[in-house]
Amino acid sequence: MAEQAQILPGTLDLLILKAVSLGPLHGYGVLLRIEQISQGALLVEQGALYPALFRLMRQGLLKANWGTSDNNRRAKFYELTSAGKKRLREESNDWNRLAAAIASALKAKPEEV
Amino acid sequence: MSLYSNLQAMLAAILRRSRAEHEMDEELRAHIGNRAEDLQRRGLSREEAERRARIEFGGYERFKEECREERGGFQLETVWSDVRYGARLLRKSPGFAAIAILTLALGIGANTAIFSVVHAILLRPLPYPQANRLTIIWSRWGNETRGPASGPELIELRRRSQSFEEIGGIWTSMGTITGIAEPEQVRLGFVTANFLPLLADKPEVGRFFAPGEDRSGAPAQMILTDGLWRRQFGANPDIIGKPARLNGGNFTVIGILPPDFRLLFPDGANVKADVQVYITFLDDLEKRERDTGFLRMIGRLRRGVTVKQAQSEAETIATQLRGEAKEYAEQSLHLTVASLQGEDVREAQPALLALFAAVGLVLLLTCANVANLLLARAGNRSHETALRAAMGAHKGRIVRQLLTENLLLGLLGGTAALGVGWAALKWILALQPPGIFRLIAVRLDGTVLAFTLLLSILTGILFGLAPALAMARGDLLEILKESGKTTATAKPWLRQLLIVSEVSLGCILLVGTGLMVRTLASLLRVDPGFRPEKLATFQISFPWSHYGSAEAINNFMQQFQANLAATPGTESVSAVSHLPLDEGLGNWYSYYWPDGAPVQQQNTVMADHRAVLPGYFHTLGATLLEGRDFTETDDAAHTHVAIVDDTLAADAWPGQSPLGKKLSIEDSPSGPFQFVRESVVIVGVVKHIQTHSLTSKGRAQVYVPEPLAPRPATTFVVRTRAPMETFAAYVKQEVRKLDKDMAIANLRPEQEYVDIARAQTRVVTVLAGALGVLALLLACIGIYGVTSYSVAQRNREIAIRLVVGAKFRDIRSMVLRQSGLPVMIGVLAGLLLAAALTPLLSGLLFGVRPNDPLTFAAISLIFGGVGLTACYLPARRTSRVDPIIALRCE
Repeated sequence: MAEQAQILPGTLDLLILKAVSLGPLHGYGVLLRIEQISQGALLVEQGALYPALFRLMRQGLLKANWGTSDNNRRAKFYELTSAGKKRLREESNDWNRLAAAIASALKAKPEEV
Repeated sequence: MSLYSNLQAMLAAILRRSRAEHEMDEELRAHIGNRAEDLQRRGLSREEAERRARIEFGGYERFKEECREERGGFQLETVWSDVRYGARLLRKSPGFAAIAILTLALGIGANTAIFSVVHAILLRPLPYPQANRLTIIWSRWGNETRGPASGPELIELRRRSQSFEEIGGIWTSMGTITGIAEPEQVRLGFVTANFLPLLADKPEVGRFFAPGEDRSGAPAQMILTDGLWRRQFGANPDIIGKPARLNGGNFTVIGILPPDFRLLFPDGANVKADVQVYITFLDDLEKRERDTGFLRMIGRLRRGVTVKQAQSEAETIATQLRGEAKEYAEQSLHLTVASLQGEDVREAQPALLALFAAVGLVLLLTCANVANLLLARAGNRSHETALRAAMGAHKGRIVRQLLTENLLLGLLGGTAALGVGWAALKWILALQPPGIFRLIAVRLDGTVLAFTLLLSILTGILFGLAPALAMARGDLLEILKESGKTTATAKPWLRQLLIVSEVSLGCILLVGTGLMVRTLASLLRVDPGFRPEKLATFQISFPWSHYGSAEAINNFMQQFQANLAATPGTESVSAVSHLPLDEGLGNWYSYYWPDGAPVQQQNTVMADHRAVLPGYFHTLGATLLEGRDFTETDDAAHTHVAIVDDTLAADAWPGQSPLGKKLSIEDSPSGPFQFVRESVVIVGVVKHIQTHSLTSKGRAQVYVPEPLAPRPATTFVVRTRAPMETFAAYVKQEVRKLDKDMAIANLRPEQEYVDIARAQTRVVTVLAGALGVLALLLACIGIYGVTSYSVAQRNREIAIRLVVGAKFRDIRSMVLRQSGLPVMIGVLAGLLLAAALTPLLSGLLFGVRPNDPLTFAAISLIFGGVGLTACYLPARRTSRVDPIIALRCE
């Protein structure tokens, strides 16, 4: 396993939205998907996932349905609402802009100042 | 989130609460299950996999709680878990719980009981249709402010007034119903046809009088109360339309009043609630004398008209009347319009408000006491709180938890208070409170329950807020560092302040109680002007048909007096038209002046007039100061004579003997109510007799021999050695001998009337006494608790002092000084506040000034003494401190 980094405060919601945008998932699935798409680089506190899921539900960004999981258990599947999709787009753009800005700032060399 | 969606979420959360809880649990468990399976697949043993899965997940309950918060809506789960936690804590300290709940039950319960009385009497509208528009209209003339109106007055007011929908009138007297098993004397209400419809929606059976059925020539009809109908006519509805015998005449029964009908008139109106038969006047009121007042008027205001508007209109009409007829001008007639409810409760209101205030003080004391207990517990729990804060609980969350606990305590106390209140109310009603108390249904109804609930919640917040904040504010690190040592977080000054306020509240209350006790004592000492012991009284009334003439009445009276005097055990017998302290018959009072007084002095001062048989003053035990008593020959045929009281004598002939002087008065030698003004010769002076109340002097008195003013109803007074039951048998037998159709009423000892006159003061004093004792008890528990606690807290300090050489005596006086000082300050503050407040009580006091030094001194001694004892008992315990043990414990 690669070295893991604690995720930044406030980014958990964005990661969940992204994970769910790739297809409906139950809670544990969200965790696995985040690990998968970050190649295991991001460490998510497992229990903290659920308050975040409930928060996103309340904000109307996610909706949930009870269904059956791969191992034939009853499970709650989350998917994005249209508001969720919109929010994911906006936040991804924001994040990319910010990340690009910070990356370029960090790349600065003495002679460029 | 908008308010609407918030509400929606809240509703949904409540409705689906258990399902949502269940699903959340399922979801979180599934996560851990899935994780464990994955870990197992990676080669861990099952137990190890499950353990790791749980560890990786983190605090299960904490995340559940966070989920609940994120889910939004009403946090019923949180509240419920707080309640359960609070209940568990209370169960764990049963001593604390019992004392707190008991204190609250007493404090809130006393409020429940007093409030149910206040609510029933002062707040709930009278049991009449459109009760808020009902007024009583008083006539004012001479020095009489709440007088009755004459017939023409009522008719003129009705004709001219725009403010009233209806104006009705009533006059009460006694009558005898015959033709039934045994003749029964009943109180009669003579009414205008519109009187009963003003006070009741409809009769239970039959009908009310129709308009015009109160005029001359209308048929003789009567309406009965439900009680009389059941007792004498077996509740038979066929009685409607049948004749019944009243005072020797035939009256057709046309209606029965509803069972809950109550005649609620103010005390001064001489309209007793026990009227059982209503008939109409059957003559034209406008043709009666303009200056003979007898009617009590009830008016219903038109919608939108205020009492003030009606009052100013009535005054305008009174002015017109004075300008139009000389009788009104001579009397200087005025009219007063007042709300019926306001007048009904006028007598009871000051006492009720005083009791309500007193019971409010008791509630504050209760709060202070429970707050004290909580502060002590807060000290013990500071470690727990700090630990919770350290584990990540928000301060708001901790305060909410504490408040929930306190509300739980308040509600438990409130529930117990309902039992206490119910019992207290039963006890209050068993004290037989006078007048209006007895007539209005007082009970624990929905409003009282709501009041108690509200009080429990407010109390919970009031006693809980300060300790909760004090606890939540505690510095985390400080507390954790000191863990193990029992250190209170609450500042000692907060406790001392609580003691000061408890003592001063208790002092105020006890001063009030003391003043009431002194009032009752002076009331018991007051000389009524007669000796009520062993004095039997009863009323007779003469049916008009057989006793139409003055002579018939006189003959009966004299014969009956002689016959009764011959019964065994009888010492003396006489009769009076109006018995002292009995307000059952309409008072008889009118103007008097010495013969030859200038015109402007005539029609200015009134005296109570009484017609008596010879021997009245002797029988009553009154004091004849000068002259002689009446004799059998003082009748209409001889010189007309009178006896006056010392008040009148001093007013009419100051400095002279009134014997032989002539006085102008009204009497009626030719028959009941046929008043004429004439001049009588004074033959005696009697010491003033308290006739209407024990506390106020009342009008001067004129006594005339019975033949000069025969009355349709009169009261016999008999000084007898025979027991009441034996005496009653003699009376019935003697009455039957003279007239088999005559009934007697109100056979009772005069002492009963005296007791009734003292009843309000007695009841208020007993209640104030109960509250005073409760206050003293609560304050003592508070002082004792705080002192014991602070001694326990300071064990270590005391031990060190002892080790370095202090004596037990020094320690004791140190504890006494520190706890005794707030007690003394409290007493002082209480006395000062009481001195400022007691003038409000002056209306309830008699024979004692509101700033009575004796009461103040006694209360400060009692409170100071008891308070210091409550400090001393725990202080004494310091001598049991063993320094070695105390130091090792810490």
